[in-house]
Amino acid sequence: MGRLLLTWRLAIRDIKRRRVQSALLLLMIVTTTTTLTIGLALHKVTDSPFARTRAATRGPDIVAEIIPPPGGAHDATRGFAPLVHATGVAAAGGPYPLAFASLTARGIDVRAEAEGRDVAPATIDQPALTAGRWVRPGAAVIERGFADALGLHVGDVIRLNGRPFGVGGIAVSTAQCFYPVSTPGVIWLTRRDADALATATQPLGYVLSLRLADPNSASAFENGNAAYAFGNDTTNEAKTFMTSWQDTENSDFKVVSVDQKVLLIVSTLLALLAIASITVVVGSRMAEQTRRVGLLKAVGATPALVAVVLLAENLLLAVAATAVGVTIGRLVAPVLTNLGNGLLGTPPAPALTGQSVLEVAVVAVAVAVGATAVPAIRGARTSTIRALDDPAHPPRRRPSLIALSTRLPVPMLIAVRLVARRIRRSLLTAASMTIAVTMVVAALTLEHNDQVRRQVSVIGTTTVAGRVTHLVFLLSAILIVLAALNAIFTTWATVIDSQRPTALARALGATPGQVTAGLTASQLLPGLLAACLGIPLGLALYQLAGGHVSEASPPVPWLVAVIPGTLIAIAVLTAIPARIGARRSVAEVLRSE
Amino acid sequence: MTGTTGSVLSASGLRKEYGEGVALVRAVDDVSLEVAQGESVAIVGPSGCGKSTLLYLLGGLERPTAGTLELAHRRLEQMPEAGLARLRRRALGFVFQAFHLVDELTALENVELPALLAGASPRTARERATDLLEQVGLEDRAEHLPSALSGGQRQRVAIARALANGPAVVLADEPTGNLDSAATTEVLRLFEQLHADGQTLVVVTHDERIASTADRLITMRDGRFVDETKLTGGTQRTVAEIAGLDG
Repeated sequence: MGRLLLTWRLAIRDIKRRRVQSALLLLMIVTTTTTLTIGLALHKVTDSPFARTRAATRGPDIVAEIIPPPGGAHDATRGFAPLVHATGVAAAGGPYPLAFASLTARGIDVRAEAEGRDVAPATIDQPALTAGRWVRPGAAVIERGFADALGLHVGDVIRLNGRPFGVGGIAVSTAQCFYPVSTPGVIWLTRRDADALATATQPLGYVLSLRLADPNSASAFENGNAAYAFGNDTTNEAKTFMTSWQDTENSDFKVVSVDQKVLLIVSTLLALLAIASITVVVGSRMAEQTRRVGLLKAVGATPALVAVVLLAENLLLAVAATAVGVTIGRLVAPVLTNLGNGLLGTPPAPALTGQSVLEVAVVAVAVAVGATAVPAIRGARTSTIRALDDPAHPPRRRPSLIALSTRLPVPMLIAVRLVARRIRRSLLTAASMTIAVTMVVAALTLEHNDQVRRQVSVIGTTTVAGRVTHLVFLLSAILIVLAALNAIFTTWATVIDSQRPTALARALGATPGQVTAGLTASQLLPGLLAACLGIPLGLALYQLAGGHVSEASPPVPWLVAVIPGTLIAIAVLTAIPARIGARRSVAEVLRSE
Repeated sequence: MTGTTGSVLSASGLRKEYGEGVALVRAVDDVSLEVAQGESVAIVGPSGCGKSTLLYLLGGLERPTAGTLELAHRRLEQMPEAGLARLRRRALGFVFQAFHLVDELTALENVELPALLAGASPRTARERATDLLEQVGLEDRAEHLPSALSGGQRQRVAIARALANGPAVVLADEPTGNLDSAATTEVLRLFEQLHADGQTLVVVTHDERIASTADRLITMRDGRFVDETKLTGGTQRTVAEIAGLDG
């Protein structure tokens, strides 16, 4: 009991004593656990919403549409005859009139398909209301994905070809893909209201829902004789379309999978960045931890107890990080998955099973154990006196870099020598900055994609491409924030680690400005490497995620601007810790040795 | 009060306080000092009497709470940090008790560092550093890292480094404090040589032997100068005599 209390007390006190470092370590592990939670949640989101919605709406197995040419007045519904009487068809719903109208809502004009429905529920394809009531004269029901995109709620007023309609309800359906997978968006009106929207130039089309005796044969039906006869009916020059429920499901799934692909790539980058950051944080604590191991051993602790104390401290952070990461992931995942709004069952808070939490916790604990293992082993191997006396890992000597630095101006001389002292830290910094630059370049490329830009301009960010852009920008922002924190922390770690040589340089005549510039430049050197690597890697990432760089490559000046942009950002971020470091009292630092 | 003609370093009414209220500590209290060109001054006193603080004040590494300071005819107390650094680089050389050599640089690279920081070309800095290492008898240790040098050798490297830019004054803080007797003798010999060459020296020390080589001995207690003695034997006695190695 006493040992447990001691372990707890030592762990808590050390966390409190090293608040900033502990908070940073926590932040890094939280980032990892959050990303992991989102990844797991999104993975599960594709499981069953379509099947659930299809069951709830008595979804059709086949949907057929006839769209007459502009000015055509012929009764188009006769074209459905080969389908209705085809072998394997168990029941038919409709045909329902389909008007193509201009919808105006909240200052936005978009095209919409208005389907005329009976007030009584249909036996096939009856959209399931998620809010409000079913169609009635003068009141429209809006498909949920479409309503979300337009920001419409029950009670709002829309205009269809200039005629006002109240929003009576919001509903989901599997007769067509949800908006924005399928455009234009769908709304349901009474038959009479839909009929009234027809114009001479844009006559009514019709839609027919079929239920097959064997729903699994829908794809085969699509390619069968009846479908052939339907598709080749040229009596009224109308266009015909036929979709099986499998086609719709696949299209819906594709959207989710695009997001998943983007998220998978970005979460890998985030995880790599988090690992790089954790390594820097843990590495900067290593000297102190080794000293602490020596201290504990000096007062009689066994190496095992020392390891337990260190592990307890890191485990506390890992458990806290798991809790925070899972909570944030749960809150953020629905935002990232709300493209499934057109289906029932999404977007709920993604299912968070015990297994998911366990998987996240395992990663967090692995990080904690990793952070514990090195100082514990090093501390156990090192003699107590040595651990107390000389805890810092001695800096490396890099003769070539030292020789090179003599030919450079003073700030660069200081910078190169600081980089040479801790080359691994500089490489980790370069790696984390490369990840951030890679993401920025990929986002720039996506932004430059003309097709995406056209789609985004339709209605904010609600198109498929717009959603991916939105996702990429959101995740890029997370990556950049993390990389920025990492840059600040690395600079601070460099400031602490190099306080003696920089104080000495000042005693020997370097000005505070030269030391500040040197400390900043020591981060700019890995930054320059990161910018140079990040540009081709960003383009490669875009290609890897399914884009085509040849169609979307940003102008060369944009890409070139990434280099000074990166350097300016790093200079701004690191200037304050560097300046603080360069202003420390020289006498104080040198006297403490 | 400004320095008199011929003084390269002067201080008047110098005070340095730390803390406030009941925790106020006056580390240096109303100290005035004139150091003439080529003079060697030793400041002695018990631990914590303010010797090192005074040295850091004289070197512009700490700001005085009150008083005036003049080095090479430039007032220091109001000078901005960058100006102080520039003045240090050409007018001052520091020798520390803990040597403060850069661990990852060789002896030669440590000695050339001040010249590089002052903007000298790599070749000039290297030539000057080689000469200085030869002067302190370490030419054969030029490529050694500090960890491969003895304490006395490290301090000789530090002295060579202090001379890299031909400073007007060398300030030494307990230069023999971390050395054994033999190493102390090596360093004493070097200081004697410097003094003989006309180098102005201000040395803070516990070591009576090094103090006795000075022209002037100042005793400090509780932040104040309490005694000042002109040593006749300062430059007349040899290191061997002082170290008790003669006869």
